[in-house]
Amino acid sequence: MNTRKNFIDIDHYQLNKNKNVVCGDVFLSKKIKEEGKIIAVLSDGLGSGIKANVLATMTASMALNFTSNNSPIQHTAEIISNTLPIDSERQISYATFTIIDIDYDSETKIINYDNPDFLLLRNQKFIPIPENSIEINILGKNKKMYSFDFKIQKEDRIIVFTDGVSQSGIGNTNMAFGWGIDNVKIFIIDLINKYKFISSHDLAKKIVNQANNNDILKPRDDISCAVLYFREPRKLLICTGPPFNKFDDNKLGSIIKKYNGKVIISGGTTSQIVSRLFNKEIHVGLTLDHSGLPPIAKMEGIELVTEGILTLGKVSEILQNINTTEVNGEGAAVEIIKNIFNNDIIEFVVGTKINNAHQDPNLPVELEIRRNVVKKIIKILEEKFLKEINLHFI
Amino acid sequence: MEKKIEIKICIGTLCYVMGGSELQLLAEHLPEKFKKRVDIIGSTCLDYCLDQEKYGKAPFVEINGEVMAEASINKVIDYLIKKY
Repeated sequence: MNTRKNFIDIDHYQLNKNKNVVCGDVFLSKKIKEEGKIIAVLSDGLGSGIKANVLATMTASMALNFTSNNSPIQHTAEIISNTLPIDSERQISYATFTIIDIDYDSETKIINYDNPDFLLLRNQKFIPIPENSIEINILGKNKKMYSFDFKIQKEDRIIVFTDGVSQSGIGNTNMAFGWGIDNVKIFIIDLINKYKFISSHDLAKKIVNQANNNDILKPRDDISCAVLYFREPRKLLICTGPPFNKFDDNKLGSIIKKYNGKVIISGGTTSQIVSRLFNKEIHVGLTLDHSGLPPIAKMEGIELVTEGILTLGKVSEILQNINTTEVNGEGAAVEIIKNIFNNDIIEFVVGTKINNAHQDPNLPVELEIRRNVVKKIIKILEEKFLKEINLHFI
Repeated sequence: MEKKIEIKICIGTLCYVMGGSELQLLAEHLPEKFKKRVDIIGSTCLDYCLDQEKYGKAPFVEINGEVMAEASINKVIDYLIKKY
């Protein structure tokens, strides 16, 4: 997900309370492309199991939708708590929530209702943010929420978790009142010092796993942690096909030269053009693998050099058949896909020159027009894998 | 030392589809006496397919600079035996 200039790596990790099959904490996030906004909600439902999951899901989805419609927060909170079903044992309806709302201008608003305080990590330090309290009326009782406003900066991380993290290990001899936010902070700083660019997924997972260890691997509450990491997007350029006009070859060269990210060249002729322009040799390997695709070649300064249309056709076929970002196997197509999944913004530069030799109707296989194959790949990447794609023809 | 025979196998799309993929196994099929005398390398499109009237049909292999059309493992080996 990205705003106009920056990218936000959002992910979360959860463990269920011991013996529960579902989690009573829910994390949802949403990108509103037109407004360049990102909204994320973490909610902890009362109790655990299915009942808590229903409360938290209702809370999180209402909070997400009301916030994306710019509804005032008091209104949102009151509607949520008046809508939630009342617990038959405890006679209250209750779920906590933290709403994170970041707009394209990096203005960030966070609302916290009864979750542990969120953490803002900047330059390996936690930054305290002044709070404003908001009074809300929930079922005739006055309750307090806290709101925080600040501007998010590059390399900032926002970390939110439920009390399953901060209260983990409660009753252990070394942590009578649980892990505690201060100790969580020390743990996070240690991690960040070790792995400066740790991804949101890995950080959330490490925090949750440590909380689980505190509970001696039998979580006493649902444990959830979500991380939003505001960073420079990782970019990948895929060049395929020779430019329509020969005099545009230099243009292709300068796009690659100026590119701030990894580059893949898919196409024999295309790699020859680049090889000529940069005066770098192509080394074609002759190793056979099980993919049935032409082998991968190597060129200095280029991440990956492959054959063109057959490889891309295979890429499209594999992408169509998978639903996760785990890919197994070998060969040029799998390598391209692995690179795609490791990056946030994928740019395609497609040369539109037609290879006459491919138009022979006697050819044993169908060699599609490059443009169409790339369009197919882009459609899958955008719809199924939510990648941001740029496409240029030359 | 005797100069090695250089065999360039085109792995451009057309050659690959027309049977070039099989040519990658050439090294395994070479007769013993040629194994040490031959260098086999891959190459991106050698551009012979752009003028098939002149050069013949894919797949193409270049042996010491000489082009062979419709190449196959057997055809290359026969050529080597005849010529070297």
